[in-house]
Amino acid sequence: MRATLLNGTLPGDSFVDAVGVALADTLQAAGWTVTPWTLRDEKIAYCLGCFECWTKTPGLCRIDDAGRDVARSAIQSDLAIFLTPITFGGYSSDLKKAVDRIICLISPFFVRIDGEVHHHARYDRYPDLLGVGVLPAPHPDQEKIFRTLIDRNAINLHAREHSSMVLYRSQEPAAATAGLHDARNIAKRVPA
Amino acid sequence: MTSPKTALLLIGSAKPTGSSTSEALGNYLALRLQERGIATTTMHVARALRTEERSATLLAAVDAADIVILTFPLYVDSLPYLVTQALERIAADRTGQTRERRPLFLAIANCGFPEAVHNTTALAICRQFADEAGCAWAGGLALGEGGAISGRPLIAAGGMAHNVVAALDRAAAALAAGQPVPEEVATLMARPLIPAWAYMLMGDLGWLMQARQNRALTRLAGRPFGRE
Repeated sequence: MRATLLNGTLPGDSFVDAVGVALADTLQAAGWTVTPWTLRDEKIAYCLGCFECWTKTPGLCRIDDAGRDVARSAIQSDLAIFLTPITFGGYSSDLKKAVDRIICLISPFFVRIDGEVHHHARYDRYPDLLGVGVLPAPHPDQEKIFRTLIDRNAINLHAREHSSMVLYRSQEPAAATAGLHDARNIAKRVPA
Repeated sequence: MTSPKTALLLIGSAKPTGSSTSEALGNYLALRLQERGIATTTMHVARALRTEERSATLLAAVDAADIVILTFPLYVDSLPYLVTQALERIAADRTGQTRERRPLFLAIANCGFPEAVHNTTALAICRQFADEAGCAWAGGLALGEGGAISGRPLIAAGGMAHNVVAALDRAAAALAAGQPVPEEVATLMARPLIPAWAYMLMGDLGWLMQARQNRALTRLAGRPFGRE
């Protein structure tokens, strides 16, 4: 089993890095191959909104940088983990830069899913999605936004299973591993 | 709030000047505010973040504004990277400091899906930003079917944009009076420009035509990252 861990930690945030290490260690101990991406250290250009990855080089962004490698890593995985300090309820800018570049993984064409319009899948299978957000302290409004964002991403990125969890900085970073057991299909593959 | 005198328009699209729906929406609203005697400044986030000097100019512009309007396209259910980074910087700059001004903050999101509701999460993020950055939330406007406008000035978009025009007219009136935008304006803005089936048909045909122009028609279903 393969997992791609997208770590959206902003510079100087050792807690979120420690959460990433705990997640990777747990998965590796269960036999997974984990590809971690510390996104702030990667050269990833921002999405230009040109849609050439849909209409000119289908499935491939015109920008040849680590953004392509992240997209490849994600689609070839069984699990994608979005790890981020929660920023106004959403993802950090470093995580968002990488997530914006993965629209090449879906098709431009429209499809209705549960009565709402989304984009068709490009691939036969997509990774499950786990969102792990970190807050300084409980904040119900931001937590609700974060969980909704993961729910929405799971629909648009065609994840079969998805789950989300929020950690507080007062907790041990290893508490994040509980998130791995939340999603049904993920839990099957990660022994408690 | 006393009557606003200045407004800052932040355009969050990365597309070239004059080609984004975000800019078309923002420009229309800025014009309506100018007619009401409000001085407006427009900044493109992509350019404003290019150097530290320009970033400082952006932060100063936010501090000097009575009204801040952010227009952006929806990227993967939330704000684009560039806008997220701009909001992080603005909030970091304003947090913990006593400010003379508490500007009204209006967010306008547009997406390429028929349903405006896709923008809801992004606008909730904007509202959280406003709270953290010491801005007064003036509301969030969500537009679906942004591809039907496709960067054209709203006047050129014709009758299909009449609800958008009416919504932005009313938004301008509220902001000029120093008030948040009424909820019914958001409802008006969210009305479909054209029937969903027509938008989907035109959208899918548009992708096919672009692919044909790019000689990529036979590769449209390509899977360059197929499992090894």
